[in-house]
Amino acid sequence: MMAVLRRAAVAGLVVGLVMLYLAGVGLIGAFADRHVVTEYLSLGQLMLLAPLLIGGFAMARQAGSVVRRLSIGAFAGGMGGAVFALGILVVVALSPGIRGVFIRANSELVSFVFFGLDPGLGALLMVGSGLGLGLAGASLPVVPPTVRRGLLTGAAGVVLMSMLEPFVRPRLTEFDLHDVVRFLYQAGGLLPLAALIVFGVSVLLGVVWRPARTEVQRRFAAADPGAQRVGRWIAALLLISFIATLPQLTGVFITQVLVLVGLYVLLGLGLNIVVGYAGLLDLGYVAFYAVGAYFTALLTSPTSSLGIGLNFWVALPLVVLGSAMIGLFIGAPVLRLRGDYLAIVTLGFGEIARVLFLSDALEPWFGGVQGILSIPDIIDEGRYTIPLLGEISGPAATYYPLVAFCAVAAFVAWRLKYSRTGRAWNAMREDEDVAQATGINIVNYKLLAFAMGAAIGCLGGAIFATHLESVFPGTFNVLVSITVLAVVILGGMGSIPGVVFGSLALIGLPELLREFAEFKLLVYGGVVVLMMILRPEGFVPDVTRRRELHEAEPEEEEEDEGDNPESPEATPTAAPSPA
Amino acid sequence: MRRIRRVSLVDVVLWGIRIGVVIFVAVGTYLTLSDGLLAGENWRDLLIFGIAQGSVYALIALGYTLVYGVLLMINFAHGDVFMFGAMTGFFTANALAAPDPNTGISPLNANPVFGMALVLATAMLSAMMVAILLERLAYRPLRRAPRLVPLITAIGASLFISNSVRGLYGERVLGYPQLDILRGTFDLFGIPVLKTQAVVIVGAALTMMLLYWFVERTRTGRAMRAVSENKDTAALMGIDVDRTITITFAVGGMLAGAAGVLYAIVFPQVHWFMGFLPGIKAFTAAVLGGIGNIVGAMLGGVSLGILESVAPNLLLLGFGVPSPNQLRDVVAFSVLVLVLIFRPYGLFGRPEGK
Amino acid sequence: MTVSTADSTEQVEAQGILLEARGVTKQFEGLVANREIDFNIPRHSIVSIIGPNGAGKTTFFNQLSGIYHPTSGQITLDGIDITNVAPHQVAELGVARTYQNIRLFQNMTVLANVMVGRHVRSSGAWFASVFRLPGIRHEEEAIEERSFELLELVGIRRRRAHELAKNLPYGDQRRLEVARALASDPVLLLLDEPTAGMNPRETRRMTEFIGRLRHDLHLTILLIEHDMKVVMGVSERITVLDYGEKIAEGTPEEIRANPRVIEAYLGKQATA
Repeated sequence: MMAVLRRAAVAGLVVGLVMLYLAGVGLIGAFADRHVVTEYLSLGQLMLLAPLLIGGFAMARQAGSVVRRLSIGAFAGGMGGAVFALGILVVVALSPGIRGVFIRANSELVSFVFFGLDPGLGALLMVGSGLGLGLAGASLPVVPPTVRRGLLTGAAGVVLMSMLEPFVRPRLTEFDLHDVVRFLYQAGGLLPLAALIVFGVSVLLGVVWRPARTEVQRRFAAADPGAQRVGRWIAALLLISFIATLPQLTGVFITQVLVLVGLYVLLGLGLNIVVGYAGLLDLGYVAFYAVGAYFTALLTSPTSSLGIGLNFWVALPLVVLGSAMIGLFIGAPVLRLRGDYLAIVTLGFGEIARVLFLSDALEPWFGGVQGILSIPDIIDEGRYTIPLLGEISGPAATYYPLVAFCAVAAFVAWRLKYSRTGRAWNAMREDEDVAQATGINIVNYKLLAFAMGAAIGCLGGAIFATHLESVFPGTFNVLVSITVLAVVILGGMGSIPGVVFGSLALIGLPELLREFAEFKLLVYGGVVVLMMILRPEGFVPDVTRRRELHEAEPEEEEEDEGDNPESPEATPTAAPSPA
Repeated sequence: MRRIRRVSLVDVVLWGIRIGVVIFVAVGTYLTLSDGLLAGENWRDLLIFGIAQGSVYALIALGYTLVYGVLLMINFAHGDVFMFGAMTGFFTANALAAPDPNTGISPLNANPVFGMALVLATAMLSAMMVAILLERLAYRPLRRAPRLVPLITAIGASLFISNSVRGLYGERVLGYPQLDILRGTFDLFGIPVLKTQAVVIVGAALTMMLLYWFVERTRTGRAMRAVSENKDTAALMGIDVDRTITITFAVGGMLAGAAGVLYAIVFPQVHWFMGFLPGIKAFTAAVLGGIGNIVGAMLGGVSLGILESVAPNLLLLGFGVPSPNQLRDVVAFSVLVLVLIFRPYGLFGRPEGK
Repeated sequence: MTVSTADSTEQVEAQGILLEARGVTKQFEGLVANREIDFNIPRHSIVSIIGPNGAGKTTFFNQLSGIYHPTSGQITLDGIDITNVAPHQVAELGVARTYQNIRLFQNMTVLANVMVGRHVRSSGAWFASVFRLPGIRHEEEAIEERSFELLELVGIRRRRAHELAKNLPYGDQRRLEVARALASDPVLLLLDEPTAGMNPRETRRMTEFIGRLRHDLHLTILLIEHDMKVVMGVSERITVLDYGEKIAEGTPEEIRANPRVIEAYLGKQATA
């Protein structure tokens, strides 16, 4: 019993410290005015109180009676609340001097985390909330899974719906649905009644979703191959038309976000080949992005030092070829390095590229700090017509070529993955020496991976340059490389859908929350560390690998090696094939 | 490494790079010196500045080398440990720099030795704490993971630490209070030397001597060396490996904290992103001296510092390159790349027997 | 099934030498791992190298597969000088190997492991795979089919084919290594302690399997072994290394009777 209590106390301490950290680092304050449920709950409060809930949840995930688990959870929560309240009281005592060190420690924050009450009462209420939320968190593992799933999706639905406000509202207004807008939103958050309805719908979806999906899967598996093929075609067609009409459906803002997401999908697909397939940790991937952008700028901008103003599509093959050559050139000397040294050397290359583009020495070519301006659009000055979709302009004009590039890159990556080349890369990733002794020329395959990654990365750069219509050296720093790496890691190294997922989560989501911009890198860093420790295979791991892992499970029990009827005892039947 | 004896494309490229670098260095040096673009005292100042900067690199490099020795991992977040030390040191220094209302003299200037000791102590302790936390929370769960996993984690941790500091202390660039007694120069055998630079060089040298004594002469130091030779054997001999690794991180963190304060004496501005470049450069220094080698890291640090301050002028001025000092980072990174490619075992080391 | 020594001696005479090493010396920083080793493998035979730990067996083995290059001396395969040839080229010439401490591609599937082994006997370039040029699909199918055959040959059940290699039980991992090596259609198969860690029953089965492999796939096999029984039962010729030098060579019977061998390696076992 004592041991359990001690663990709960430690958990409470950790929870309290996490809360203090979140408040101190500025996350709580930044989201204080972002309403989830207008007047009742803000995103800042949600973030502040979530650790209490999680702490209670974590403590209740152990054996024991329901009462015991609940009380332990409540204890941990209350402890967390108390630690946090104590910390804030210390801040109050040290005010205003403490602001000289911790810039967020102002009276607004104190008042916000203490529910607008004065410190004494606020601290008490915080401890009370800790107890309550700890209890609530602890009840989650206790209730049946269906209820748990329903509650979680309900909460997620409400948060998502409120976060989407800046994008849903203008769309609804555009279609003259003013009443709906008035019913749903006020001051950026959901109104209580609307929140309740959203919650209810989400709960329903959460409860129904899984059985429905299994049922669909079961029927699909039972269908005959012809019908299956038709089904696949229909699904693909639906997906394509969905992607194609996204800019029309979502409007300019989201399309802008989608362009960014798409850029990172493209970069991620390229880096995925280098890191995920071939196992070469390239931290200077931004160099290829920069090279692509600068080459495109040089070739297409009439005001660049070359000043030839080529058409984008004429320039593109040159850019790709040039970048691939640079990939080979960078790849060749670093091939024999061990994995971690290779990472650092590529990081060095990335920084060299940036400083060179920035330098006065090369200013006549690359424009130094000013960069290169007036890069033309990809297609007809950013205004063109697509059959069925009508006239395209604005960010959508970049969106379509970008999606096409992503599709091509994904297609190439997918074909390579299940090919002789992909297997050779994977073997190299797993064990370089053995791969070589198996007959794989690792020098060639490393160079190929580098060149492939470079070619895809430079596509991203080319599109980026035309999208911004200018290039600046400041854009291409090491953080881009690390962001792409985080995208690949979150989805799962080597996984193509993973890149899309990672990009949506790490690039798209933060764009929905303006306040988030400041904290993006903090979150990327945290995500990378947590993923490596808790889930190194990523959230959307290889389809094959997941299947393999699942297939492996039921077999475990009947394992009894050495007595297999088909062990080497059986006569070899395979005919020798000609060498 | 040298398995393929036949001449391959890669060998040709590597030889091309070697020859190119030699020609570039020779021609650049010749042009610069023959034109007499910089006077003798300019070179001397650059050299002294390089040594001062290099001794800071050396202190940080020791952290990389120590950790690499015991864990065989590149602790990419070490530069941010250094940054954290410099930042917390700043807050102490800043508090001490407030002038006394009665005398008008700040405690820092009234009692500079004690004041600097206090600043140094806070910086070292806080950096040590971060280093220990880093090892405990991020690296320890990954002891048995494939080699790239800890490195990726370290990169994430680096981003996390620097951005936490950015959130907690703000994005502002903080001006370190300067000591009155460190203003100006003094004469060393007739050569005027900036006092700040002299203090940094002497401070770093003392710290390194202390470290050398610690590693070579104390029980804990011996345990550290045993663990870096072979973890399993060390464990069999009754050494607490986990504890030794923690101590290694603690020592590395303290050195980084000290480096943070010394760095701030030469470059009296600190901010949340200041750890990145010195971190990479210190790593370069560690590799330059042969990673895992303590004396090597010291020598590597000083060599890199000198190289970085002298080489851009020496090599590029002659070619008529405008503002060559802009390219000092390129020099540092080129050294990094060239050393890793051609002598990954360091300038002073020998290739691993294979 | 036991191997008749008389038979294979005739074959040796009929078919000549497959691999020959002359005066192979390997030094590591002054430490001599192999000294002046002369050694040859008759075609279609099973030859073994034995010796106490640290005798330089694996070093010698690594030189045959191109992972190390000799400090001096010469190695020829089928008359081709492979002394300083890169490992992947040695593999292409038909030398395949396994490892003492199993080295599979852990995070790849069982099937993919064998398919990688087929690398040198296929030619699909990356652009051909991307565009599915004619022949690629056929080649991929052939690789897969052959890989399944080999899995069956070594006795790994078909439904295990899509598991990750690291999830296989120990015995299957050893067998998978053999399958991967066989996938390159080798002329010379190098097995580094193939029965290490196996129980007597598994060992016996592996030994018989090695014997059958030679006949059915027309292979030449070089074994490194610790287990004397394996070596005595299956090989026609045995070479004994000690302190990096060759101290004896001959048929199992000769080796068994050789006093130097008894002294260096069998000593206690022989007298006990």
